[in-house]
Amino acid sequence: MDPAGIFAINYAQDRAIVRTAKQWLALGIFMAALAALPFIVHPRLIAVANIMLISAIVVVGLQICTGYAGQVNLGQAAFMGVGAYTAAVLASRTELSFFLTVPLAGIAAAGFGFVFGLSATRIKGFYLALTTIAAQFVFQFAVLNLPGYWLGGSNGVTVPPAALFGHRLASDISLFYLCLVTAVIMICGAFGIVRSRFGRAFIAVRDDDVAAGIMGINVVATKATAFLVAAFYAGVGGALWAYLLRFVAVDQFTLFSSVFFIAMIIVGGIGSVVGALVGVFVIRAIQEIITSVAPELAANLTFLGGDIVFASMNVFLGGVIALFLIVEPKGLMHRWHILKSAYRLWPFPY
Amino acid sequence: MDFLNYAINGVLLGLLYALVAMGFVVIYRASKVFNLAQGELVVLGGFLVWWTVIDIGLPLYAGIPLAFVLAAAVGLLIERIFFARLVGESVFSMVMVTVGLMILLRGVVLLVFGPQVRPFPIVFPLRPLVTGDLLIPTNLLWGGVLTLSGALGLSWFFNRTRTGLTMTAVAEDHQVALSMGISVKRSIAFAWVLGSLLSTLGAIIFLSGKSLNFLASDIGFAALPVALLAGLESLGGLLVAGAIVGMVQGLATAYLDPLVGGAVGSVLPFIIMLLILLVRPTGLFGWRTIERV
Repeated sequence: MDPAGIFAINYAQDRAIVRTAKQWLALGIFMAALAALPFIVHPRLIAVANIMLISAIVVVGLQICTGYAGQVNLGQAAFMGVGAYTAAVLASRTELSFFLTVPLAGIAAAGFGFVFGLSATRIKGFYLALTTIAAQFVFQFAVLNLPGYWLGGSNGVTVPPAALFGHRLASDISLFYLCLVTAVIMICGAFGIVRSRFGRAFIAVRDDDVAAGIMGINVVATKATAFLVAAFYAGVGGALWAYLLRFVAVDQFTLFSSVFFIAMIIVGGIGSVVGALVGVFVIRAIQEIITSVAPELAANLTFLGGDIVFASMNVFLGGVIALFLIVEPKGLMHRWHILKSAYRLWPFPY
Repeated sequence: MDFLNYAINGVLLGLLYALVAMGFVVIYRASKVFNLAQGELVVLGGFLVWWTVIDIGLPLYAGIPLAFVLAAAVGLLIERIFFARLVGESVFSMVMVTVGLMILLRGVVLLVFGPQVRPFPIVFPLRPLVTGDLLIPTNLLWGGVLTLSGALGLSWFFNRTRTGLTMTAVAEDHQVALSMGISVKRSIAFAWVLGSLLSTLGAIIFLSGKSLNFLASDIGFAALPVALLAGLESLGGLLVAGAIVGMVQGLATAYLDPLVGGAVGSVLPFIIMLLILLVRPTGLFGWRTIERV
């Protein structure tokens, strides 16, 4: 709903994502703040921000697949892993610049994801969602069992730093800008995808795939595309991950991380690109806070033991997910929309 | 003879997977929820047995029943806290709750029992059964027998008894079930208690005489191909699917692993599952439903 007095008088205005001057202003300030972040906050937080940005790319892809197309995807971490390994191998063997390795990583992951999406030709519903778990096992198996000089086996692959015009991007701050620019491009792309005919087809398939088929949507192709898009996003995120950590190993991309990605879209809000970003921010922030607070707690309350960090994080996050599904299944974005329309309608109830 | 040995042991291991997969199917049959936290339930069951038998020091005949009672209580608690509030909600959010449950239970297990590797009590004799050249581990043999009787018994329960059929109605549609006078909550509670008990049983058979920590939850995903292969509705089919997956895994581990360098056994079940699902999209014995708009 638009604020009072704002009317779309042509199609361009009606299609616009940013609809008012104030929204442009808010977006501008937000982007400027993000760009200035390394000069404002502590360097440690920049490292956190990098992880958040990479997760944001991966989770936005998952949002398109799960939130828009309704296909539960439990292989997102494996897709990310494929991207990370592609980028790592290309960067360490061929010295391609990251302008090429990042998109190539995305394409490699998209191919891998598409194969699993193709099983939608026959498999539907839960069976399809659960076959994506197979992606995880195939990925792990392939990395660990292909000859060691290909993917490094269980030792992982070391990645040389990204370079831009001969300038090495090795510090957290330079990588922050790399991640930020990539994330902005990918998120703009996501907004474009979800309001295109593909996005509308995704939503139709999510709401009822039989009805969508009757309306002339190619359901199988739509589902496979959803997996392809999700995997592409995961691959790009994975490539950045490889450059950020400068080391990839198979245990960075577990089924458990896929579950966490799903948790992020639940908390943020299913079926909203901004919701995915909110979810990433909230969950990663909680994780960071617990990791930084818990050691002190454990030091003061020694009877709890030192392993409390990981455990309490899981209890808390698992509880948060369940709580959201019971109390607010549409996620934080839905609350925000309620708040926003109440503000715009004030003082009238509706 | 080696071949026969590998095949038989594989089938018995497959039947153990079928027992864990039975937890998936029971909960699915009674509430149409695919419980992703099944592996964590197995771990929790295992830790309950560890706690009663080794930590408290009860003898086996008292500790194991107590662990089963506690596991049933956990199942009931899960239903009360989470699923009783979700009656009438979409299946999607119920399945997503099990995602939260998976993370939560892992945390709870770590908080309560710690990340250490714990010894698991020896419930079945460690000495394998020897007949001729065949070596059969006793725990798997017992597991096979229990799976067989469990699958047949539950299959009869769900397909032939009134209570079992009302559960199928609940899985079909909460609202319709409620208007027919069926208690949705009781049905879901029963499913979770049963799922929790089956997980504990699976843990006892799988872990007997071995060691246990929170990573044992992987068996939940190892059992996944069995459940999908059988079709999520079929309890009797689990036996066939378990035998297929187990035998393939057993033979692959024995003959293919040395060639490729390991772990074929863990990925092959998934590949077979994918191939069979491509031919029969609802598994070998799953129900083919007619979809309406």
